Amino acid sequence: MASVIPVIFILAIVLGLMACGYLFVPKGPHQTTIRTAIMLTLASCYLMWMITYMAQLHPLITPYRSTKGGESL
Amino acid sequence: MGDDYPTLFRSEQMSLMQFLIPTEVAHDTVAELGELGNVQFKDLNPAVNPFQRSFVGEIRRTEEMARRVRFFESQIQKEKDVVPIRPLYDSAPLVTVGPSAAHNIDELDVTLAEHETRLVQMNDSYKTLSERTRELVEARHVLRETAVFFEKAETQQTDIRTSFDDSSAPLLQHDDREQQYLSTVQFDLEFVAGTIDRTRISTFERVLWRVLRGNLYMNHTDITEPFVDPATGTETRKNVFIIFAHGDALLAKIRKVAESMGATLYPIDANADKRSDSLREVTARLEDLESVLYNTGVNRRSELLRIGENLARWQDVVRKEKAIYETMNLFNYDVRRKTLVAEGWVPTRDLVMIHMALRHATEESGTSVVPILQELDTNKTPPTFTRTNKFTEGFQTIMDAYGIATYQEVNPGLFAIVTFPFLFAVMFGDIGHGLIIFFAALYMIFQEKKWARQELDEILGQFFYGRYIILLMGVFSVYTGLMYNDIFSKSLHIWHSGWDFPEPESNGVSYAVSNGHMYPFGVDPAWHGADNGLVFTNSYKMKMSIVLGVIHMTFALCLQLPNHIKFKRPLDIYANFIPQMIFLQSIFGYLVVCILYKWSIDWSTRDTEPPSLLNMLIAMILSPGKVDATAQLYPGQGFIQVVLLLLAMVCVPWMLCMKPYFQWKEMQTIQGQGYVGVGHRNGGPRESTDEALEIEEEGNGRLIAEEMEEEHEHHDFSEVVIHQIIHTIEFCLGCISHTASYLRLWALSLAHAQLSEVLWSMTIEKFLGLSGIFGTIALVMVVVFWFSATVFILCIMEGLSAFLHALRLHWVEANSKHYQGEGYLFTPLSFAKLDEKE
Repeated sequence: MASVIPVIFILAIVLGLMACGYLFVPKGPHQTTIRTAIMLTLASCYLMWMITYMAQLHPLITPYRSTKGGESL
Repeated sequence: MGDDYPTLFRSEQMSLMQFLIPTEVAHDTVAELGELGNVQFKDLNPAVNPFQRSFVGEIRRTEEMARRVRFFESQIQKEKDVVPIRPLYDSAPLVTVGPSAAHNIDELDVTLAEHETRLVQMNDSYKTLSERTRELVEARHVLRETAVFFEKAETQQTDIRTSFDDSSAPLLQHDDREQQYLSTVQFDLEFVAGTIDRTRISTFERVLWRVLRGNLYMNHTDITEPFVDPATGTETRKNVFIIFAHGDALLAKIRKVAESMGATLYPIDANADKRSDSLREVTARLEDLESVLYNTGVNRRSELLRIGENLARWQDVVRKEKAIYETMNLFNYDVRRKTLVAEGWVPTRDLVMIHMALRHATEESGTSVVPILQELDTNKTPPTFTRTNKFTEGFQTIMDAYGIATYQEVNPGLFAIVTFPFLFAVMFGDIGHGLIIFFAALYMIFQEKKWARQELDEILGQFFYGRYIILLMGVFSVYTGLMYNDIFSKSLHIWHSGWDFPEPESNGVSYAVSNGHMYPFGVDPAWHGADNGLVFTNSYKMKMSIVLGVIHMTFALCLQLPNHIKFKRPLDIYANFIPQMIFLQSIFGYLVVCILYKWSIDWSTRDTEPPSLLNMLIAMILSPGKVDATAQLYPGQGFIQVVLLLLAMVCVPWMLCMKPYFQWKEMQTIQGQGYVGVGHRNGGPRESTDEALEIEEEGNGRLIAEEMEEEHEHHDFSEVVIHQIIHTIEFCLGCISHTASYLRLWALSLAHAQLSEVLWSMTIEKFLGLSGIFGTIALVMVVVFWFSATVFILCIMEGLSAFLHALRLHWVEANSKHYQGEGYLFTPLSFAKLDEKE
């Protein structure tokens, strides 16, 4: 199940969103600021997601617990 | 860029304008421009002593007014009951421009002087009256206490003689009365009565004993209420004493000793009737004085209230006037044209506004002569001006704190709007903590209008100034918290986890089994609470730090390109940018690619063991070309690594030599041409600004001198070489150290997560199991403690720490790749900013 395809797929989506962000921000005194902010946000959030996803794709170690069950909400 | 609108990408284009202002309009024009806040005036009289400038008289007058206003302010602040100062936005403005301006200012001067004299008078009389009150109170005490002594003394059988004390205290005018009763009253001993500080009474006694050889009888009692000094507010405690002695000489000695010890002597009559008369008189005078004192106090307070109504207005006017005259001192008086000449930097976009302001000023002042504006050509570096709004201001300020951008270079503040909160969030990632700071920032933003008017104290003011930064920090922290799957040290279990935990084996350990799912968004919650959870998280976060770091540095490096293109430095692109990029990518870019590649392979299907990337990188450099087949990441690795290493090594001499070589060649060609003439070097005539007012010939002479200086700089080839050596070494070593520096992203997020976990497990976890009413109350208290520790330690302290580290990453690691930061800030004459300076 775990493969690299979602990474590439989401990358395509993010690139598309960045292009939209670049093209569809209206002209005005803040156009550059808004464009830069949108594109950088999309890029950095994607990067972080991509790294987190890929780190867990084929993990080299498996988790183990010595007590019964862990704490989770 | 941005012909239509200025952007944050670069600082704005500035023009040097020359203003020709007729003297009548000068004051109003400067006032108008100050309100606008768009012109930075140059000092056209740099050689003139401040005391010799033209408007020294006016400045002196405004200084005097300012001193008076400061005096009022200090008087108001000293009042115990707060005197309300009507805030500036609530006061009617004082008209300082236009035909009535001079009259208004004169009136203000007179009013201020009047208020000052009145206030000073009242202060003085209040002080005098307080002193007299104090003395009368002391006298009253002395009278009361000595009455007791005398009653005791009247039981004596010996002769009574009169006493004539000279009044050492000027208030009690008993001389005439004493003369009358001189013959009639007989008394036993003569005496001296008065008050003295409680601390000195024992010394006093001892000294008297020694001086008079015991021939005295002294009695003293405490005065219970302390005396408060009106000026300083210190309390002193005094005692009443009365000393009986025989003979003039002894009495004289007693008086001398008393005066030397700081006692106050009061004339007390021997006659009981006269004493009660004096007591009544003293009490009556005390009442009178107290009512006068009260009235003075009331008058003073009403005066201060009246002043308080206008104080903000006056402060504003005085400040503006001073600024206007100081600015006018920077102008030059042109004798030929009989006007004042001013030069100033103006953002090119705002020229229309300036024109309109000048016209408006002329209308206000009632004259018909409009100041003339003309643009000057110059090769001086303009100031750096970035137009910010309340949102971008904070980000721009934190980047400016490192250094002001060179005129029109790429502004890192624009990118910091997102990269700074993002890098902060990588170190702070926790949904709960992120929400806390997000709501804190939201609260500050809602209170914006109110808080902007108040005087916030330093620390709160800093947080308020950065409220938008904190808002974004909170938003990104929630996102990274989602990625790390951490909310107050717990994990969210939103999607299907990829691991199942079976029953534990014989040694009590339960090894998870992969169930084929992939946790789509964030770290799998199975790792939370696992014994080896940290092993996984550390590896993940460390690699993430390196990847993010290299990408951030590459991005910063690319920002060099627009600078080189704009300032027409193609040599820099080939000699600096390209080798730097190749060097960075061939080693660290390669590392990033390897990290991502290693993650993307399913190692269970491969024969080889997954190699350690760290060892791989070290081996790449120390033993290039030799890659063990059992430890290889991909086939052909050895060859590719050698190529990359060679590329990197080639870049070093490339960076070292190319630019100096080309600059040397350029210098040779210029020398070959010789000094062809003035102005030919850069093509086209240029007018040096300082000479705009002087005669043409002198101007030319200056020009030549300037050119020669520039040539001399270039002749110093060794400087160029040294500069390039430093630049190269800095970059290459910096690459390695900065990449490692990004590991702080891992370190801080680890510390944050661990701290959060420890706090939970040490507090709430221990109290969760308790039952009953006692248990519930204890749990509630612990929750309160946990929450306050979360806010203060985890949010504020850790937040400040992560803020600082994220800032350092921007300042050092990112800025060193492209930032020159040699500009100076645009500081226009702005009345609004005068406020902030104070």
